[in-house]
Amino acid sequence: MPPIAIKKASLVLRLYVAGSAPNSVRAIRNAQAICDAHFASRYELEIVDLLEHPQRAFIDGIIVTPTLIRLLPLPVQKVVGSLSDAEQLLLALAGS
Amino acid sequence: MSKVDLSSIDQLTQRLAEADATIQALLSKEIDAVVDPRTSSPLLLSNAQTALRESEKGLRKSEEQYRQIVEATSDGIVKTDPTTHVVFANRRFTEMLGYEANEVVGSSLFNLMGEHDQRALLQSRRELGAVKDAMDIELRHKSGSDVSVSVAETLLSNEAGEHLGYLLVVRDVTEQKKLQSQLLVSDRMASVGTLAAGVAHEINNPLAAVIANLDYIAEQRGRLAAGVHPIQAYDSFLSEILAPLEDAADAARRVRLIVRDLKVFSRSPEEEPRGPISVIKVLDSAVRMAWNELRHRARLVKDYEPVPAVEVNEARLVQVFLNLLVNSTQALPEGSAERNQVSISTRVSGDRVVVEVSDTGGGIEPSIISRIFDPFFTTKAVGVGTGLGLAICRRLVTDMGGELSVRSELGEGTIFRVALPIASHIPSLIPPSRREATANNRRAKILVVDDEELILRAVERILSKDHDIVATLSASDALARCARGDNFDLILCDLMMPDKTGMDLYLELESVSPTQQEHIVFLTGGAFTPKARDFLAATPVEHIEKPFEASNLRAFVQRYLRAQAGSNSASPEP
Repeated sequence: MPPIAIKKASLVLRLYVAGSAPNSVRAIRNAQAICDAHFASRYELEIVDLLEHPQRAFIDGIIVTPTLIRLLPLPVQKVVGSLSDAEQLLLALAGS
Repeated sequence: MSKVDLSSIDQLTQRLAEADATIQALLSKEIDAVVDPRTSSPLLLSNAQTALRESEKGLRKSEEQYRQIVEATSDGIVKTDPTTHVVFANRRFTEMLGYEANEVVGSSLFNLMGEHDQRALLQSRRELGAVKDAMDIELRHKSGSDVSVSVAETLLSNEAGEHLGYLLVVRDVTEQKKLQSQLLVSDRMASVGTLAAGVAHEINNPLAAVIANLDYIAEQRGRLAAGVHPIQAYDSFLSEILAPLEDAADAARRVRLIVRDLKVFSRSPEEEPRGPISVIKVLDSAVRMAWNELRHRARLVKDYEPVPAVEVNEARLVQVFLNLLVNSTQALPEGSAERNQVSISTRVSGDRVVVEVSDTGGGIEPSIISRIFDPFFTTKAVGVGTGLGLAICRRLVTDMGGELSVRSELGEGTIFRVALPIASHIPSLIPPSRREATANNRRAKILVVDDEELILRAVERILSKDHDIVATLSASDALARCARGDNFDLILCDLMMPDKTGMDLYLELESVSPTQQEHIVFLTGGAFTPKARDFLAATPVEHIEKPFEASNLRAFVQRYLRAQAGSNSASPEP
């Protein structure tokens, strides 16, 4: 496992997906692209596959996949969908 | 008025926004699954289901394709975990070793190979991470026999660099090995061909000396008869013939040495005893064989440091050294022997014995030096070399667990280096005790059977002083004597005879006279038919190799009779 550098990261995200379902795959790709472009190495992105870990949906109150959660900075934000609207996503990630 | 809880309003607003976003996402078909709040398990939406099914189908299809490729290939393919336990093996692999498809899964690949191969494989992994260059090893067939395979492997790891195991490609090289061993034999035959002329010459010289000296002695004997003073004449005759007799014996011994060297070529590959042997002895033997080629072209310089024995097959090692010597010699121009030099040296380096054969020839072009060990690569004229010599040398040396390497400098010469593992156990070097016949030994009755009259007469001459000898040219006659009830303490019998062989005599004596059968000792010429070889291996009969020296034969007989007396009576030896 690579060393986790949560403390240094200014942006901590968790993305809930359903296996390799098309929107989930798209969401992963989009999230990574946006983060790489705008937050470079200052972010952590955890991807949780609900098909493998269904119980984890309960913790964050997930209703649908794909759902992206911004854990840090607070407040917690949720974005639902395949994250194809880059502008909206960026607003959600950067805004308060 | 009730107090408005702002935080719950915030939460509510947020939940509404979330619901709104979810509905929008649902409408634009950006959702894959909805989580069932009771079981908290995700329920895939139909579009995601179809997509997943499609991709699974695609995955299965490509898996099927890979599986077909893996099963159709003519090589065995094995996937193992990091501890080399089989995770997957294709059909070709299991067939190769006589197993059912799933019998090998879960067991360690090391269970299928001998200790030596295990060590070689582990060493290669230590050095390179995996067996990257194909390695020849033996795998055990389910039936217990060995299968020769060539193995190469790849290290399997995931993206994080974790070691997942090995992927091995295993090729059955039994057929290839068979062809190679045929090539080895044919190379040996070719060597015999090129050497025959030289050897004939080598034998001819000492033979001429034997004949000339014996002729001279016969001549002197003639004069003795014509002499006037018998006693004086006899004395001078004795002193006259002593030197020529010794010379003749020396020359004859030299012939014996040459013939012994040649015998290594007649051994078949199956009977390849690996013994601790001295490389210096083998080098000298090879030098004798190559001498005829060598002496016209170069001075030979020997630089032997004492070295421990190596555990290899003597005949093969002779073949290697002979090949290297002939190669070195052929690198030199003919006729200026004093200016050119072939050197052979021995020394110890670590746990290896190193033998170097070098010449002062023109050296090897750097552009071709990497190819000189390739089969059929030759710089010699068509018909002169087969291009197999060095390839076979390297193969032989590798089989011995050693290495053959070359170093060459244009205009300076070439050095071939053979490094061989030192034998692990050194046998006792104490020679068997040779007690000579003593006067108080009883006279024994000995039957000698050989179709070669000269040998018969020689044996009779050597033994008749101490024992009573009955000599016969035929095994039938010998059998008849035994059937008549003649009793011999020892029957010295030639193995290969026209008519009835020594083996026939032995087998027929079983019913005619079992006690006489026990008294047979064979005289053998060393080169056997396969039948004779099997016979000697299967029967508990001693044999004496021809040629033998008088003292050795006498000592053997003495030892034999003493052992017999010891086993026949309980009385202790004086």
